Amino acid sequence: MDVFGSFALLLAFVCALYALVGGIAAIATRHPLLIKSTRQAGMAACVLIFLATFSVVYLFVTDSFSISYVVSHSNRDLATFFKVVALWSGQEGSLLFWCFLLSIYIFSVLIAYRNKHGELMPYVGTILAGVQLFFLTISNFVTSPFKLLAVANASGALEYYTRPDGSGLNPVLQYPEMIIHPPNLYSGYTGFTIPFAFALAALLARYPGEKWIHLTRKWTMIAWCFQTVGILLGAHWAYAVLGWGGYWGWDPVENASFLPWLTGTAFLHSVMMQEKRGMMKVWNVWLVFITFMLCILGTLLTRSGVVSSVHAFAQSNIGSWFVGFLAVTLAVCLFAYFKNRDYLKSENQLDSIVSRESSFLFNNLVLLVACIAILSGTLFPVFSEWFTGNRISVGTPFFNKVNVPLGLLLLFLTGVGPLLAWRKTSAESLKRNFLWPTIAGVVGAVIVIALGARDFYAIVCFLLSTFVAATIAVEYYRGAKVIRVRSNLNWLSSAVELTLRNTRRYGGYIVHVGIVMIFVGLAGQAFNQEVQKEIGIGGTAKIGPYELLLQALDQKQEKNYVAERMIVEVMKDHKPVMILFPERRNFPTNQESGTMVAIYSTLREDLYVVYAGVNQGSEVPTIHVFLNPLVKWVWYGGIVVVMGTIVALVTPRHAVLVLSGAKEQTQAKGLRTTLPSSVTVREGHD
Amino acid sequence: MIRRKKILIYAAVAALTLAPIAVVSVRAQLDRAHELGKRIKCSCGGCEQTAGTCYHVGGEFSGPCGIAKQMIKEIQGHLDKGLADDQVIDLMIKEYGTAAYVEPPKKGFGLVAWLMPGVYLLVGAVVVIFVMSRWRKRAEVAEAVAARQKPVSAEALERARALAQKATEE
Repeated sequence: MDVFGSFALLLAFVCALYALVGGIAAIATRHPLLIKSTRQAGMAACVLIFLATFSVVYLFVTDSFSISYVVSHSNRDLATFFKVVALWSGQEGSLLFWCFLLSIYIFSVLIAYRNKHGELMPYVGTILAGVQLFFLTISNFVTSPFKLLAVANASGALEYYTRPDGSGLNPVLQYPEMIIHPPNLYSGYTGFTIPFAFALAALLARYPGEKWIHLTRKWTMIAWCFQTVGILLGAHWAYAVLGWGGYWGWDPVENASFLPWLTGTAFLHSVMMQEKRGMMKVWNVWLVFITFMLCILGTLLTRSGVVSSVHAFAQSNIGSWFVGFLAVTLAVCLFAYFKNRDYLKSENQLDSIVSRESSFLFNNLVLLVACIAILSGTLFPVFSEWFTGNRISVGTPFFNKVNVPLGLLLLFLTGVGPLLAWRKTSAESLKRNFLWPTIAGVVGAVIVIALGARDFYAIVCFLLSTFVAATIAVEYYRGAKVIRVRSNLNWLSSAVELTLRNTRRYGGYIVHVGIVMIFVGLAGQAFNQEVQKEIGIGGTAKIGPYELLLQALDQKQEKNYVAERMIVEVMKDHKPVMILFPERRNFPTNQESGTMVAIYSTLREDLYVVYAGVNQGSEVPTIHVFLNPLVKWVWYGGIVVVMGTIVALVTPRHAVLVLSGAKEQTQAKGLRTTLPSSVTVREGHD
Repeated sequence: MIRRKKILIYAAVAALTLAPIAVVSVRAQLDRAHELGKRIKCSCGGCEQTAGTCYHVGGEFSGPCGIAKQMIKEIQGHLDKGLADDQVIDLMIKEYGTAAYVEPPKKGFGLVAWLMPGVYLLVGAVVVIFVMSRWRKRAEVAEAVAARQKPVSAEALERARALAQKATEE
């Protein structure tokens, strides 16, 4: 199977090379057969990558310990599903997996548009082939997952051998989130290749109008959604596994995944300016280019060892390849831009400073500033070493101090933007739209202060969260009211109908609700408490309203590890709530240990219990307890963001007007003229 | 004799009274060392955590790891000598180098890190305001040109409406 897999991978490289070179020739000659053959070569490369990937999975599942990569990341006792996911547990496999996910996107694009956009698709196919070729070069010739175990004998010839068992999978990767976190994150990273290819192709081909924007909107949203889920799953993994009580530590690799998310978010907003008003064409093209390049930069940071990270298991010396690829990508983008920049000319006009357009400009400003600030903070140790010879490290406190105000500014704009009309917003409209949300925000702030909040940023965050939630509620109320009046539906059905009629706008609102929930969860950090103490059997630890009683210590023998457990009874206000089992796991295969945190999670707070070890002198176990308020809001917020994105991807239902007593549904003609005078129709967030 | 007995009793009572205070004081010192540990990066190399919160991946235990414990012990040693918090941090940086900073110092080259985000925001805001004023001027020019054009007559408008009505009747 290793021969089959490596041959498939090599053949994929040849096909991708043909798709690139042939694609360039096809663009130059416009020969239909050449165009068709290069498209088919691109699709063949994808199929061959699928086969190579399945070969690696097969080698893992069948314990092929003659393969170096399998030996390093698996062992016989490893559960089968972990053997499957071990594919992306190290350098070689994760790069092949990257290639695999990219191929799914490329294959889908080539199939979906095989008979459409004849002017554009040869460019798109060629660009995609170029990206694919880079990753295939790495997987074939730099870090092949099919490398056999071999030693040189006395005569210098290589002797191949098979190990009886593997070294095992890194313990921290043996956790459910690791099954879905990397695929989601990689799907986000690779997904941004599609809008990049379309933007670059449109620029090179001088493709008319905003078609490339319409073509790539869904792809961008899918990539953005995967990136969001990937980031949140990574945060949950850090929270549940690493045992330090938090979920976001501004680790360089976390930052690397956040950067394209920020620029992708900026693009999803600014693209509306181009669709609605034909503005910001240059900006949008460069936002897409930068987002793609940040994805590559993220991979470079993860794997090059330029910055130290918790993701050290993926580090190697392939960074120079990525630097080269980044340089080539930038050069191609600059060439395309300077060659055809007149194609991006637009007559940008701003009718009023108080308008939706302005809010989008500021939204983009804040997102970009946050992106550059995080990037420069992440690379600051490298810069300081260059300039001073000393590596000055930059950690969580710095990133929090810089990004919390920016985040709050963004939250403010999240509330303000949708309430401003395109072109111009009147003073009357401002008053009408902002009055209730502002009152709600102030009430929200007063409530949290009354509940004991004293942290300035936390209070502001609650104020703004309530404000944004109220703006969305008001928007829904107004829209649903119109439908309710016209169709006699109840409030809930009216709100659903409203959403389905303009999925993009109301899907966006749902995403904003999710973002508000995440901010509420983040604000909860201001009230975190922790206690660490040595605790004998029968001993107790107190934190907030909880009392923890150590009932016993025991051992649990599993197939792949031995777990030492604390059996902790949790009481709240002297009433038993539940039993928690924080664990320490020892993995004999690779002589490593890991933790399994026990969490009692409610919407109000998380009781987070870590078995923190045994005092070497006294042999008394140590318990580390955290009380983290509102953490669950972050995870639920993520779910709402995904739901909103899915809604925004759904094709909107046409508005129908159901007349009382009518037997047939009629297309809603002249809806506006029949509305009650109290209702105002205004362009919304779509 | 009775006096000596009295003194001993007083001493015992005082010792019993002060013992919890001493324990609390030691506890507070430990907590202070732990808190100060959060201002110094753990030098284990396996994480981006502080000495006070290190639970690095693959560490010998779930934390603080051995190196973080050693660093907290050193901090405790400095505190025992009566040094102030900032003096302790300075000594730790001297020993472990600038890589032990959790956040860049607000002096020397470290100041650049703190100034950069503000500069980005300022420059970005200036650019946005400049762009907005340019676009606004263009809109004003366009409005002025439109105002100078001859207004459409009521008849022409009516004719156009009728045409549009006819075209959309289906």
